[in-house]
Amino acid sequence: MIELDNVVKRYGTKTAVRGLTLRVEQGELFAFLGPNGAGKTTTIKMICGLLFPTEGSVRVGGYDIQAEGDQARQMLSYVPDQPYLYERLTGREFLQFIADMYGMPPAYAAKRLDEVIHLFDLGEFVDDLTERYSHGMRQRTVFASALLHDPRVLVVDEPTVGLDPRSVRLLKDVLRRLSAAGTTVFLSTHSLDVAQELAQRIGIVDHGLLIGCGTLATLRGQARTDGSLEEVFLTLTEEVPAEAGEALNGQARPRPGGVTELTPGATAAPQGDGPR
Amino acid sequence: MNAPLPLPRVAVDQMRLFGRLRRQLLRNTLKVLLEQSSLRVVSIVLTSVVIWVFVFAVSWSGFRYMTLQRVPPFGAIVGVLFDFLFGALWLMLIFSTGLILYSSLFNSTEAAFLLSTPARADQVFGHKYRGAVGFSSWGFLLLGSPLLLAYGTVYKVSWLFYAVLPLYFIGFVLLPGCVGSLVCLLVVNFLPRRRKQLLIAVVLVLLAAVAAWAYQASITLRTQVDNREMVNQLLGGLRITQVMAAPSHWMTKGLQAAGQGFLTASPQGDAGTLYYLALVWSNGLLAYVLTAWAARWLYRRGYNRLATGGSLRKRYGGAWLDKLLSASVGFLDPQTRLLIVKDFRTFRREPAQWGQVVIFSGLLVLYFTNVRRWLFLTDVEWMYQNGLSLLNLTTTGLLLCIYTGRFIYPMLSLEGKKFWVLGLLPLRRERLLWGKFAFSAVGSLLIAEGLIVLSDLMLAMPLFAVGLHVLTVAVLAVGLSGLSVGLGACMPTFRETDPSKIAAGFGGTLNLVAGLLFLIAVISLMALPWHAQAATARPPEGVATEDLLSLLGLLPGLGVGALAAWLPLRAGARALARMEF
Repeated sequence: MIELDNVVKRYGTKTAVRGLTLRVEQGELFAFLGPNGAGKTTTIKMICGLLFPTEGSVRVGGYDIQAEGDQARQMLSYVPDQPYLYERLTGREFLQFIADMYGMPPAYAAKRLDEVIHLFDLGEFVDDLTERYSHGMRQRTVFASALLHDPRVLVVDEPTVGLDPRSVRLLKDVLRRLSAAGTTVFLSTHSLDVAQELAQRIGIVDHGLLIGCGTLATLRGQARTDGSLEEVFLTLTEEVPAEAGEALNGQARPRPGGVTELTPGATAAPQGDGPR
Repeated sequence: MNAPLPLPRVAVDQMRLFGRLRRQLLRNTLKVLLEQSSLRVVSIVLTSVVIWVFVFAVSWSGFRYMTLQRVPPFGAIVGVLFDFLFGALWLMLIFSTGLILYSSLFNSTEAAFLLSTPARADQVFGHKYRGAVGFSSWGFLLLGSPLLLAYGTVYKVSWLFYAVLPLYFIGFVLLPGCVGSLVCLLVVNFLPRRRKQLLIAVVLVLLAAVAAWAYQASITLRTQVDNREMVNQLLGGLRITQVMAAPSHWMTKGLQAAGQGFLTASPQGDAGTLYYLALVWSNGLLAYVLTAWAARWLYRRGYNRLATGGSLRKRYGGAWLDKLLSASVGFLDPQTRLLIVKDFRTFRREPAQWGQVVIFSGLLVLYFTNVRRWLFLTDVEWMYQNGLSLLNLTTTGLLLCIYTGRFIYPMLSLEGKKFWVLGLLPLRRERLLWGKFAFSAVGSLLIAEGLIVLSDLMLAMPLFAVGLHVLTVAVLAVGLSGLSVGLGACMPTFRETDPSKIAAGFGGTLNLVAGLLFLIAVISLMALPWHAQAATARPPEGVATEDLLSLLGLLPGLGVGALAAWLPLRAGARALARMEF
């Protein structure tokens, strides 16, 4: 459903993403992890068509995001880390705008509107202007709008920041249900416990390189540890910087057990069932 | 590679959808404004009405004077005036639409949101274009409509003039809006790393062109004795606005034809107003179609290029500007100097902020230089010259009032959630206020004094009047700075990050109203008495006893200025001292 083929993204002379090849299948819940500045948000923006790859290609649902972006975005929803709402619209007006933008038939839109309002418990404030919403209310409204049109791909950047425990629980349940129903979820997060709990596969990116990708078991093997995802993450990311610097100059091949397994069609593609 | 998945067949009329969105936003905004900030609505409406009436009155007396001088209503002189008016507005619309569009297409969270939806690039552009043109046309309507209505009233033109005027107005804004948009799209796509330098270069070239033309005009005025020759030379200097292809000239010709009641053609066979109206509209619409078509290909590409054209971590230069400012306020203590440089840095790195200052100051320079030409052309009396210089002083004060309200008042609130950093610094908190006050006063003085001296020199005012105006503007700059900084500290809104929203809130409105009252008080006390007595006399030579008598209001004016700066700053310092972080 999401295909990145040897994607490179440069900001002037700096390279943010280096030769990323990755496939996320339909119904898969994929967690994308990495330290700050690793290239996660740049990758997400390329998947949504906000940025274009300098080299390589990105496809969503079989549509090239650069050449057939409008079609690709028709089946995609993106929830950024700092979501946008029109301050001078009510929650309901905003949801209706989204329904109209995705061309939902009026009767179906009305039904779905009621469903998402109920699902995210927006009833109490959905007719207030969004400028009066707290962070949690905004986040729930944005999620409601993202799911309103039944997207086939949901891309989420840091969804749990600022949410209370009840909302986090609700969100995790929703993501799990969506995945089970066939929606592809691409989740970028710093919350390793959320990733460990939800994801079927996990990708770890650092200095623009995908340094690990697979089930938790695969990653444990790669990091040579039986610990938690946190331990795996710290082990893998602390070994990268020196190599990344060399890779930047094109003088080094990634070390065995690291990036070499990420050639197209190899380990970056799904590997069976999840790790939990 | 997977085959593309089938998509549901949906036909969304996105233009209609965005239209409904704008209407909803407008309706809700008006509702909120009326419910929560009725004071602001009243002050905006009143200020607009006052400005409109003022421009109408000045234009009316100007046209009245021209009728007394037997200047024909549809002749070359009125034509040149209109050409220049529409030419200047054309430039203003190009710049303001371009800047607003740059900010809303490439720098706003709404744009990023819309670009992640199936909204087509040309439709997002169209949505933003309408907003930008509507916003930048506000000034055009406020300045252009009273002038043209005054012309129509004085010269008793045909009803057709009033009937087609709104159509000309709406049609006219399309084309410069498109030019501004196209320039914005091209710069972002093909010069993403040099856009700021390009903007500065264009502004400098335009200002240089205006200065060269003003210099040439002044030479002509000084050397030409024959009025007809002089008019010919000056008209030659405005060729650019007169060529048939210039839309400002279509406006002039069309409105003059309408004024004479020529709908389709004049008895002499010249084109009627419909022809020019069709020219304005067809070119405007064609330009819109071409620009929207260009946006379809260039908008997303430009968005990507702008986001990735530079380096990941942007390096900012311009340290020499900071050093220059720091040296110019060398008389202050080092801590205050550092705070001033910090505020200046923030300001100069926001092109949308200083762009507005450059545009409006540039327009005033344009107006001041044009006034002189107009005066000499029609051999105006001292009374009008005197009145115009008072008007220019008030306009400069009004500009200061808007600058301090828009940029200085929100400064303390914009420190926002990081205010505790300043609060924990090893310096007395009131020094924060003094830093912002000094920053505002120095900036305001530099801009406003330059403008008022230029205006008085262009009007050939006596030296005594120039000195009086310089002093009045200094009092205004200091008083308005104190008022904005002090009230900003008394009523901070740390949660808000948008300066325009802070300026539009209750505190910002109160600050604007207080600033306007202060402006009226200072001008009435310090400048009005001299202008009133000078209006009845011959152009003064040297300093007469009457001049000195009319300066009795000077001391109270200085007192009002001192109080306007000191009282709010003291209240602000106390509020700041009590503030918890």
